[in-house]
Amino acid sequence: MRFNDAVVGTAFLLLAGAMIAMTFTFPAFPGQKYGPSLFPRIIGGGIILCSVLLMLREWRGGGRPLLVLDAWARRPGRLASFALMLAAMVFYILASEPLGFMPTAFLIQLVLFLWFGVRPITALIVASVMTIAVQYFFGSLMRVPLPRGILDSVL
Amino acid sequence: MSDIISRRSVLAGAAAMGASGLIAAPAIAQAKWPSRPVTLVCPWGAGGGTDATARIIGAILEKNLGQPFNVVNRTGGSGVVGHSAIATAAPDGYTIGMITVEITMMHHQGLTELNPTSYTPLALMNEDPPGVQVKADSPYQNIKALADAIKAAPEGKFKASGTGQGGIWHLALIGWLQAMGLKPNHVAWAPSNGAAPAMQDLAAGGIDIVTCSVPEARAMIDAGKAKSLAIMAKARNPQFKDVPTLNETLAINYSVGAWRGIAGPKGLPDAIQATLTTELKKAFDSKEFQDFMNARGFGMTYQDQKGFAAFMAEGDKAMGSAMNAAGLAKKPA
Amino acid sequence: MTAISTAFGLVFDPTVLAVIMGSAMFGMFVGAMPGLTATMATALLVPVTFFMAPVPALGAIVTATAMAIFAGDIPAAMLRMPGTPASAAYADESYEMTKKGQLNLAMGANLVFSVLGGIFGVAILILLAPVLAEVAINFSSFEYFWLACLGLTCAVFIGTGDPLKGLLSLFIGLAIGCIGIDPAAGQPRFTFGNVDLLSGINFIPTLIGMFAVSELLRGAVTMEKGGHVVAQAVGNLMTGIGGVMKRYWFNFLRGSMIGTVIGALPGAGADIASWVSYAISKKTSKEPEKFGKGHVEGIVDATSANNSALGAAWIPALVFGIPGDSITAIVIGVLYMKGMNPGPSVFLQTPELIYAVFIIFILANLLMFPLGWAAIKSAKQILRVPRNILLPIILIFCIVGSYAMTNSLYGVVLMVGMGVFGWLLEEHGVPVAPLILGLVLGEMLEQNFMSSMIKADGSLLGFLSRPIAGVLGVCTMAIWALMIWRALTFGASRAAAGAKA
Repeated sequence: MRFNDAVVGTAFLLLAGAMIAMTFTFPAFPGQKYGPSLFPRIIGGGIILCSVLLMLREWRGGGRPLLVLDAWARRPGRLASFALMLAAMVFYILASEPLGFMPTAFLIQLVLFLWFGVRPITALIVASVMTIAVQYFFGSLMRVPLPRGILDSVL
Repeated sequence: MSDIISRRSVLAGAAAMGASGLIAAPAIAQAKWPSRPVTLVCPWGAGGGTDATARIIGAILEKNLGQPFNVVNRTGGSGVVGHSAIATAAPDGYTIGMITVEITMMHHQGLTELNPTSYTPLALMNEDPPGVQVKADSPYQNIKALADAIKAAPEGKFKASGTGQGGIWHLALIGWLQAMGLKPNHVAWAPSNGAAPAMQDLAAGGIDIVTCSVPEARAMIDAGKAKSLAIMAKARNPQFKDVPTLNETLAINYSVGAWRGIAGPKGLPDAIQATLTTELKKAFDSKEFQDFMNARGFGMTYQDQKGFAAFMAEGDKAMGSAMNAAGLAKKPA
Repeated sequence: MTAISTAFGLVFDPTVLAVIMGSAMFGMFVGAMPGLTATMATALLVPVTFFMAPVPALGAIVTATAMAIFAGDIPAAMLRMPGTPASAAYADESYEMTKKGQLNLAMGANLVFSVLGGIFGVAILILLAPVLAEVAINFSSFEYFWLACLGLTCAVFIGTGDPLKGLLSLFIGLAIGCIGIDPAAGQPRFTFGNVDLLSGINFIPTLIGMFAVSELLRGAVTMEKGGHVVAQAVGNLMTGIGGVMKRYWFNFLRGSMIGTVIGALPGAGADIASWVSYAISKKTSKEPEKFGKGHVEGIVDATSANNSALGAAWIPALVFGIPGDSITAIVIGVLYMKGMNPGPSVFLQTPELIYAVFIIFILANLLMFPLGWAAIKSAKQILRVPRNILLPIILIFCIVGSYAMTNSLYGVVLMVGMGVFGWLLEEHGVPVAPLILGLVLGEMLEQNFMSSMIKADGSLLGFLSRPIAGVLGVCTMAIWALMIWRALTFGASRAAAGAKA
């Protein structure tokens, strides 16, 4: 999925514009001439400059289509793989607090393994072993407070 | 194997959990706290004084209570992130944290709604007053000479630092200036990313004064690069006996300090409160804690639950009026 | 002399050696895990060291951190997932080498030059500590401002291909760095009232997102192609290292020097050292067109630099008690605990302990060779794991690593957001390395700029009035002027060529 540089330039131009507009709401600091708005404005200016140059270059070169789709984006199976990878991350964000790290990580691995065509028995074993290993190393040894969730009372 | 059990229990629901016999564990756990690792949130980064203090307290509690006390750094947002993590944690005793002087300042600046009453105070463990530090070869070798020079100089000629704009050490400077009858911005404040970079800038000759605490300035003082002229406290620090107070030199009775204490979220069960208060007192009196704080030169001030709450309420009021006077507060105190 | 022999006695004690060995393995493991940094390894060792004698306590920290900085290179080369931020600068380069079948050479170079760079840093620490510290302490916000500016020029060199898009990427990084509480006035910016955004865009989840998650997304859609196992060149790790050493010995020396100097500066550590030396390597190379496509030259510079910076960070720590990086900040706390108050007097009061630290440093770097070898050997099995098993496992490590940095889901959210953003940028030919550099240097730049403006009463001349600042400033501006001039003449000649055609 590839937009041409004029589209990219326009997108960043708008973002930088919004960023600079927001700096006008920043309060000035008492007794200080240079407030928190100075730096974002300089940077916003830099982004605008780069964006305009990108757009100019695209127009002078001329003729590239607005959007080019990669081969994979037209194949539903690969598109689903892409979506599933993202969905797995979103699932972790939503489910890890209520369920806890271990069930969530186990489920994510199991589903992804199966989708990518790993044999079910291998998938089960690897997912269990990896989940326990990560929980042990990060949770117990490195003392990272991984969410305990439904296993709260057992761990 | 435990994963498979856990997954099934998700699907089968709580009834299956009960049947599996696991329910007995939490029932016993309720009786005795702590039955699993406790999280001790530290709102400041690894390597700093707050982190070090939290880690020594955590290590002592762990030794005495037999469960790990994991220090978890929740940093950023000038302390807002960590402080709100403590306040919003489940009040089950398994998340407590170290709160610092910033809790009496941030809400005046409009950074957060949290204030000292958002917590269950447990114990105040430390308080450090600010000092007035200058470069070792500064032309002002005592606090009186410096004070006179500041009064005589035009506004903004002297530059000071120690922390960010509106931070605790900036307020210390403002309070001192106001006590001398000067405007809060008579000495310009060059914000820095904490006391250590400010001390380095002082030694490099970039600024004139640093108003951080004496322990924070200690490395540069010991290295012969800086000098502490006075501390803004009621009494001298036994670790730095030669540094006079502002009161004895300039007859200014102004004292403000950075403090650290342990607190939990609101609504902590009474039994856990009682255990923690006793254990924290024991930790405070322990040789390990005393040796550690002395070695770092940190001031030791203990207050129990009630005293800590009163201490914070008083500090909150003082900070509010100081910040209002300096124009740093978003809303009237 | 007696102090030195006492020091040897202190170090070569069975318990101490056992502690060193244990912490070496611990450090190796932590470094190889994304999101777990050398700083975290140190912080976790602190409670353990409370109950130890001074020499094993310091030995544990020295060894663990040295190993962690090296071990960060392993997942960077194999999975494009830098294990520690210090490996980020050349993660792409080593990953490209692996894709070309040169994993052995990449890892061999990383190992050998990490060991040598580490030893170089220690040698400087031993020989020149007081002198270097005296120089470093004279840096005020003016000097740091110019250093940050010089660092930003690196972005132009590290971005591959399109310089305009590299510059855009740098500005985006600086803009992202503005999110959170501003470093000068303490005002929240672009936080939309969100508590997590107040803490800013955390650097490590961003790093994991931009490098590793974007690679996972690409991996997911190319899964069916299967042909993941790139045949690696035969031979062992050391095949070809002799040639690299002969050819790039100057790069090693230069990288180590840069690493030592940057490491000795308070506030700048191994990660900045490796960015800067990688950029300089590319700038001065005879074959800069090979960079970014799997070329060992820049790796030699950068991997020497980050390991030498580690030892050099102890210079201001030991001489003045001023931390050179976040690791030594923790070390100073441990030193106080053990009654060794850092400062000039420590060399007089407890010289045997200082010598013991030096010996452990050398020992740790020597130990890095066999242990690193073993770590690489076992990690190489990863490449044999089929990709459909490997990708989900990497995803879990990315998630846990990001979580570990903020100790909250915010790190994971950030990782996902930045991963998708980084994927989009790379799809459009915008390199992500300059963005990461902008994020690293943004706060340092703004903080020192604002602080200096206040100190100079708003006069820009103040930025040049101090001697070191003046030299740095003039150098920076000269480099920029040269670059703009070359860009303009180059653009003009290309336009002329275009007109002719």
